[in-house]
Amino acid sequence: MTSQPFVAMNQIEKSFNGVPVLKKVTLEVEKGEIHALLGENGAGKSTLMNILGGVHQPDSGQIFIEGKQVTMANPHISQTHGISFIHQELNMVGDLKVYENMFLGSEIRNKAGFLNVEEMCRQTREILAELGVFLNPKEYVRNLATSYKQLIEISKALLHKSQLIIMDEPTTSLAEHEVGRLFELMRNLKKSGVSIIYISHKLKEIQAVCDRYTVLRDGQLVKTDDMQSGNLEEITKLMVGKAISQERFVHEHEFGEMALEVERLSSPGLFKDIDFTVRKGQIVGFTGLAGDGRTELFESLFGYRKKYTGTIKVKGKAMKITHPRTALQAGMGYVPKDRKENAIIKDLSVVHNMSLSSMGNFERWGFIQDKRELEKFSNYEKTLNIKVANPRITIDKLSGGNQQKVIIAKWLEADTDILIFDNPTQGIDVGAKQEIYQEILELAKLGKAIIILSSEAPEVLRICHVINVMYHGEITARFMSDETNEEEIMHYATGAKREGEHIG
Amino acid sequence: MDNINTKEYSPESPSMKSRLSWLWSEYSVIIAFIIIFIAASVMNPRFLDINNQLNILMQVSIIGIIALGMTVVMLSGGIDLSVGSVLALAGVISVLALNASGSILIGVFTALLVGAFAGFLNGLMVAKGRIASFIATLGMMAAARSIALYIAEGGSVSGEVSGFTAIANNNVWIFDLPVLIFFAMAVLIYIVMHKTRFGRYVYALGSNEKAAMLSAIRVDRIKIGVYTLIGTLVGVAAVIETSRLNSISSSSSGAQYELDAIAAVIIGGTRMTGGRGKIIGTIFGILILGILNNMMNLMNVSPHLQGFVKGLIIIIAVVFQKRE
Repeated sequence: MTSQPFVAMNQIEKSFNGVPVLKKVTLEVEKGEIHALLGENGAGKSTLMNILGGVHQPDSGQIFIEGKQVTMANPHISQTHGISFIHQELNMVGDLKVYENMFLGSEIRNKAGFLNVEEMCRQTREILAELGVFLNPKEYVRNLATSYKQLIEISKALLHKSQLIIMDEPTTSLAEHEVGRLFELMRNLKKSGVSIIYISHKLKEIQAVCDRYTVLRDGQLVKTDDMQSGNLEEITKLMVGKAISQERFVHEHEFGEMALEVERLSSPGLFKDIDFTVRKGQIVGFTGLAGDGRTELFESLFGYRKKYTGTIKVKGKAMKITHPRTALQAGMGYVPKDRKENAIIKDLSVVHNMSLSSMGNFERWGFIQDKRELEKFSNYEKTLNIKVANPRITIDKLSGGNQQKVIIAKWLEADTDILIFDNPTQGIDVGAKQEIYQEILELAKLGKAIIILSSEAPEVLRICHVINVMYHGEITARFMSDETNEEEIMHYATGAKREGEHIG
Repeated sequence: MDNINTKEYSPESPSMKSRLSWLWSEYSVIIAFIIIFIAASVMNPRFLDINNQLNILMQVSIIGIIALGMTVVMLSGGIDLSVGSVLALAGVISVLALNASGSILIGVFTALLVGAFAGFLNGLMVAKGRIASFIATLGMMAAARSIALYIAEGGSVSGEVSGFTAIANNNVWIFDLPVLIFFAMAVLIYIVMHKTRFGRYVYALGSNEKAAMLSAIRVDRIKIGVYTLIGTLVGVAAVIETSRLNSISSSSSGAQYELDAIAAVIIGGTRMTGGRGKIIGTIFGILILGILNNMMNLMNVSPHLQGFVKGLIIIIAVVFQKRE
C-alpha cells in the first residue's frame, strides 16, 4: 500500500437540526482496496458516504483525494473525481432500455449530433460480458429481475471509469451465485487499482471480500483495522457496543390445537402444491432465495392475491379468503416485508398506524376515541420498547426498528391467532432484532401460531421450530430446526437437492 | 437509510427558525389568507363592509360545498372532473321531478340521488374497473353534460313550485341559507374525516394504497364511498344553484366548477397525490378565491383578466407549498 491513500476523509463533523450525526470521523481508503464500512442503522454510514458523494456538506473537516484537498459541493463534482455511488435503492429508469440507462446523461453522439446507438450497445455488451451477464442492451429495464438491475448499476460505475465505487448493501437482491460473481468482479477491480467502499450488514460476506474495515457507532469512529485480525464476533461487539448472543432462541413447549392447514395451494407461475400446517404455539419458518415464491404464497393466503387454488383451513374450518379483511376475520395477521412500501402509512401518525387494522376497538357510537388510542399505544410503547418522543408525529420519522415495532403492535391490537411475519428484521439494527425475536417467542408462548418468512437461513434456524425450504415456488424440504444447519438449507434452497415429504 | 429522516423529531427543538417553518408548513394557507385579507381592506375600503363580506360568503358557498368533497377525493389520491356536469344534470332532473310532483322535498331528494348515483358510478369505475380517476371522471363529465343537454333540449328548465327559491334566497339572522349549509357541510365533513374510521381509511389509502389494503382495509369500498360522497355534495350544490334563480341551464350551469373546486383544494395545501391535507385548508382556499374575485370586481378589473389572476395564485400557492 502506498503512503498516500486514494481518499482521506479527515475529522468530518455533521449535524442535522442540531443533532450531531458524525463526530470527528476519519476514513482512509487506499488505492486498490476493498474497505468495509460497518455500523448499525443510524450509526452515520450513509451520511458519511453522502458527504463523500457530494449529497451533503460536512460542517467541518476536509476531504483529500490523492493528497489534494477537494470540496464536494455537489454529486457531479464527486463524479468527476472518479467516485461512483451505487445506492441501495436502484436508480434505474424502467421505461428506458438497458443501454439508455447505462449512458443516461453521457450519451455518445456521432458527428451530426445524433445518438450513436450501435456504439453504446457495443460498449454495454462488453461491460456486461465482463460481469458474466449476457443481456440484450435493447431490453427494457422494467422487464429485468432486480438482480440484473443491480448488475447494470455496477456496470454503469465501470463505464464511467470510476476510481472509487461506493456500494451500499449491493447483495440484498442478489442470488447466491450472483453474489459470487460480484465478489469475483470486485477482486478484479481491486487488481486494476479501483478502490471500493462496501457497506453491508452481512458480516460473512465482508470477511470474504474485504481487506480492511471501519466500524462506526453513534456517529463516532470505533475502530479501523485489517480484516484478518478481527473475528466476526469481535466486530459485532464493536458495532453494537455489547456482545450479542447468537445461540438458538427456540423454546420447546407443548403445541396447542391445529391453527392453520394448507393443502395443495397453487397459483400459476408463482407457487405449486403447497402443503403445510401450523399449530398454536408453533413457529414455522419459510426460507429460500429471492424469487422462491414464499412472499407471493403468503400474500395469497392473506387474500392480497386472489388467483389461487387449493384449500385453506383455519382452526379446522375451510375458508375462502378473498381479501385481507376476510383473512383478518378468519384470524390471520400479516407483517409484510419492505416496510416502506407495504406496511407503514407514512402520512399517518404513529398512533394511527397502530390502530389502523382494528378501528372497532377505539370507537364509541361510530366515533374514534383519541384518548383510547393513546392509552392503548402507551401500553405497546412499554411492552415492545418503542422509542418515540411524541406518538403524534408521523411514523416515517422513526427509525426502522421502531417502525417495525409499531407495525407489530398494529397486529397485536388486531389480536389474531395466526401471525405471519415476512422478513421481520429487514433493515433493522442488531439490538432491535433481538427484541423482535424475543417478542415473537413470547407470542408463541401465549399460544399464537407464528409463521416467519426470511431470506436469511440463520434467522429461521434461530427462532423456528419447523423450517420449510422453498425453491421455484415449491417446498423442497422440511426440517425440524434442531436437525439441520445452514449448509443443508442452502442445498435445498438453491435447488441442488430436493426431497419429497420429509416431516419430522 | 440512516439519513435525516430517522432522527426523531422533537417539537421542543430549540431553534426558532424550525418552529417558524413548521408553523408555515402547517398553516401557510391561513397566513396567506390573512395577508390577502389585510391587503384587500387597505386597497378598497368598501371591502370591509359587512354586506360585502356576506356577499363573498354567499358567492363561494356553492363551489365551497363541492370543494369539500373534492378535498376528500384528492386525499384518497383521486380527482373528480365531473362535478360541474353532474351539477347540471342533477339540477335539470330535480327541477323536472319538482315540477312533476309539486313537492320541494322530492325535488331536493332527487338532486341528492342523481348526484350520489353519478358519484357511485365514478367510484365503481375507479375501484372495480381500475380506471384512473382522471379518465373515469372525464368520461362522466362528458356523459353527464350530454344527458343534461338532451333532457333539457339544450336550454334551461325552470321551477314552477312556489317556495323552492326560498332555499337559496332566505336568510337566517344575517346569513344567507346557502352559507349556513356550506358551514354545516364543512363541520360534517371535518367530523367524518377526523373522527370516523372512514376518514382515517381515506388518508391511509391516499398515502399508501398497498399498505392500506394489507392492513385489512376494504380499499374498493372506501373509494366508492369517496366518490359517492362528493356526488351527494354536488347534489346539495345543485339544489342551491337551481333554487337561486329558480332555473338551471343544461349548457352553462356548473361549467368549470371542477377547476375552481380543485384550485381551492390545491391552494388549501392538499397534496395532489393524496394522503395529506386538511378540510380547514380547503375552506381558507375557497375564501382566498372568493376575496380575489370580489376585489377584482370592486376595482373594476376586466372579467377577462380574472382568470389570469386566479391562475397566478394557484401556481404561487403550489410553489410555496412545495417543500417536501
